[in-house]
Amino acid sequence: MSTNSEQILLKAKDIEVGFPIIEGFVQAVRGVSFEIVQGKTLALVGESGSGKSVTARALMGMLSERAVVGKSASVEFSGQQLIGLSEEQLQKIRGSAISMIFQEPMTSLNPLYTVGNQIIESIQAHRKMPKKEARSEALRLLQEVQIPNPEARLDQYPHQLSGGQRQRVMIALAIANEPKLLIADEPTTALDVTIQAQILRLIKDLQVKYGMSVLLITHDLNVVRKTSEQICVMRNGEIVERGLTEEVFTNPQHPYTKHLIQSEPKGAPPPLQGEPPTSLQGDKVRVVFKIRHGSFFNRKTEDLVAVNDVSIKVRQSESVGVVGESGSGKTTLGLALIRLISSQGGEILFGDRRIDNVDRKDLRDLRTSVQVVFQDPFSSLNPRMIVRQIIAEGLVVNNIGSSDADRDEMVRIALKDVQMDPDVMDRFPHEFSGGQRQRIAIARAMVMKPKFVLLDEPTSALDLSIQAQIIDLLKDLRDKHKLSYLFISHDLKVIKALCHNVLVMQHGNVVEAGPTDQVLVNPQKEYTKALVNAAFEVVSDQPQSASQSFN
Amino acid sequence: MSVANPEIQTSKASLTYWELVKRRFLRNRYGIFGTIIVLTVVIIGILAPFFSPYTPIRTDKDRQYFPPQSIHFFDEEGSFHIRPFVYGLGEEMDPVTYEFTFAPDPEQQFPIQFFVEGESWDFLGLEFKTRLFGVSEADGQYLYLFGTDNLGRDVYSRMLIGTRVTLLMAFLVVAIAALIGVIVGVCSGYFAGTFDLVTQRFVEFMGAFPDLPLYLALLALLPRRADAVLVFIMFAGILVLLRWAQFSREIRGMVISIRGLDYVRAAEAVGASRPRILFRHIVPNTTSQIVVWVTYQLPDVILLESFLSFLGVGVQPPMVSWGSMLNQILDFQSFNAAPWMMAPVGGIILTVLAFNAMGDGLRDAVDPYSDK
Repeated sequence: MSTNSEQILLKAKDIEVGFPIIEGFVQAVRGVSFEIVQGKTLALVGESGSGKSVTARALMGMLSERAVVGKSASVEFSGQQLIGLSEEQLQKIRGSAISMIFQEPMTSLNPLYTVGNQIIESIQAHRKMPKKEARSEALRLLQEVQIPNPEARLDQYPHQLSGGQRQRVMIALAIANEPKLLIADEPTTALDVTIQAQILRLIKDLQVKYGMSVLLITHDLNVVRKTSEQICVMRNGEIVERGLTEEVFTNPQHPYTKHLIQSEPKGAPPPLQGEPPTSLQGDKVRVVFKIRHGSFFNRKTEDLVAVNDVSIKVRQSESVGVVGESGSGKTTLGLALIRLISSQGGEILFGDRRIDNVDRKDLRDLRTSVQVVFQDPFSSLNPRMIVRQIIAEGLVVNNIGSSDADRDEMVRIALKDVQMDPDVMDRFPHEFSGGQRQRIAIARAMVMKPKFVLLDEPTSALDLSIQAQIIDLLKDLRDKHKLSYLFISHDLKVIKALCHNVLVMQHGNVVEAGPTDQVLVNPQKEYTKALVNAAFEVVSDQPQSASQSFN
Repeated sequence: MSVANPEIQTSKASLTYWELVKRRFLRNRYGIFGTIIVLTVVIIGILAPFFSPYTPIRTDKDRQYFPPQSIHFFDEEGSFHIRPFVYGLGEEMDPVTYEFTFAPDPEQQFPIQFFVEGESWDFLGLEFKTRLFGVSEADGQYLYLFGTDNLGRDVYSRMLIGTRVTLLMAFLVVAIAALIGVIVGVCSGYFAGTFDLVTQRFVEFMGAFPDLPLYLALLALLPRRADAVLVFIMFAGILVLLRWAQFSREIRGMVISIRGLDYVRAAEAVGASRPRILFRHIVPNTTSQIVVWVTYQLPDVILLESFLSFLGVGVQPPMVSWGSMLNQILDFQSFNAAPWMMAPVGGIILTVLAFNAMGDGLRDAVDPYSDK
């Protein structure tokens, strides 16, 4: 990094962190060195387990007690050596000169104290200031992070705020004592995409205003590209590539960086041949949840319309995407269409057969032709069953295959289909990584030879490079078996790469629907525009106004 | 990069869930220590007559309230005996207080013999006479390691037999309560709706009883002159009645959370029937919690049984349990005269601690996937 003319704020050298485990010792971070320039952003990028968070925690001396830090490690922060400082000395630096924001805004605020009190406490911990003054300072900070109606928010508890607002409060806490360095550990990963854009914008603005340096830890290459000047790519506890962000993105040197950049989903689905027959069709589907509240004697039920008269059509070999932020009803719609939950209105047709009014028993034969793949591969496989049992369950239940050997052969074929070694049949789910588990889950669906598959965010729990593999796999399977997909996702890039048509949902309603290129390239509705903007531009360019309405 | 499984080594054998649990459990020294003690206590309980020199009902009219005899390897002259022995106790009356005092009498050396012929005992319908140790019945030798009680019965032998009854009670109560709790909890959690509502109100009703007065009232209903075995069974029944409810609640909660997991959804999606989902997906995933609950409940029941029997409302003579032994020293005077009759307290403490240690170890081990 050529930084002669610029002032270096933090210089980390030879950071090594290891953890003793039962079978020995794991070296989580080995020999990591980097420099953070005054007022600039350095991004640490890597997939889960690459050691990026451990590195950041090592800087602030916030590692768990078991962690062993290498002897030659050195962290020089504006001329002061941080390694070897006592806990008290570190506490003085934490929250004042260096502060940190975390991934999970739901758990990093104390639910028992008001937002205002938490900010005041943080101010008074580092500065001698009477309470009244600290309170007005807290108010100023809330204004600074652009929380609507800050006076009222000051006396609210964290549970009264939305996820994005909580993250804003976290940022207010972090900048309360005007730190020189802000460490942001996946600050937007838990947030919806439009909120993510706003938060990143906010961090950028504050950085300029206060002249802070930012150490951004993330797995999201888009975020890195739009927000950081310098980048360090980490893998297995080592930095494999470093440099100016633009240079690394345009001309990656290390094969891993190249691979990461190529993993970004791209391409478009192959055009449909002619006018294929309809596979699954929903007409004005309505799903209502009854919410009970009130006391025992005064019980009220309120209807929550999760899916409000949504119509959708999926044809053979076609992939239809459903996008929306959390709580938009997209998963509910998907589950209702394949009758895993029941709908309260509308018609659902599979081929020519109406399926929304048949009972569980008569659904049996439908189950073989309609399948589902869930988001979290860690909860979608029964931990007590071996892979063979997991995949063959549908065959056993539906009396497919004449003998166990016959079914084993089908399982073998399904495993090959998802590019897994058929020898893994006798293993338990816990022996596989997330990507492999997702392959097993896909094999479980594929072994039934379905015509229609509901894919409920099948890639969002996976690392970027694994995600790309799974998407390629899903594409191959679709083309090979002429499958219809209903692809639920919040990730517009994946939708763009995979789906012919797309449905944008918000609060249970369809906002916009149509061919993917049309909707995602030239969105008509404000909401879709904000979504598209957030997904492809990442940092929101309009600070508040337009996107405010979704907050 | 679409190589499917680079990190799986096919040479290594797959471990089932319980094998993983076992591995993890074996690493926990405290838990293992507890388990060893628990196993020892259980074996002693099962083979109690073998390990005890006398039957629990043998009375020695000449030796009431005899203090414990200690085992010696060296005699008065300091010479070593390979065969351990005890001294007989000489009895003297204090001329002032009229209290009896006991002192080892060097004249009477009773060598301890192993695998001796003693009074016969039954095990699985077979009759045995061999006991692990004892002293020769001839010429008035006796061996009271923990002393004797008010009727001259051997406290040590009674305590071992008491282990049997106490443990049997604990296992019986917990097993039946667990069975009922699992059935009710699983049904309530899985079928939900009105069934769940009614069941849970009933469970709450059971939970709202004040425990102790209810125990006493129910036990008072038991026929006074009833056979001891009948009283034992009814006593166990009453304990079960008040135990299953709380457990069924825990199981219900677990079932509700498992029911919402994706693998259950996935099983529904392939068309699995309700019983299949219950018995292949839901119940197996609750077993670890059941095991942990059972190990935590056992010491609880042991304590409760001891307490109620101590009050005299539990196990009735001629059956012996730790609690009913303590009942004999209910009054202060006999406690003062024969503090060794407190010996079952040691057994209770040791067993309860051991079960808790085992439970802690198990609780840490049943989630083997959390570990790196």
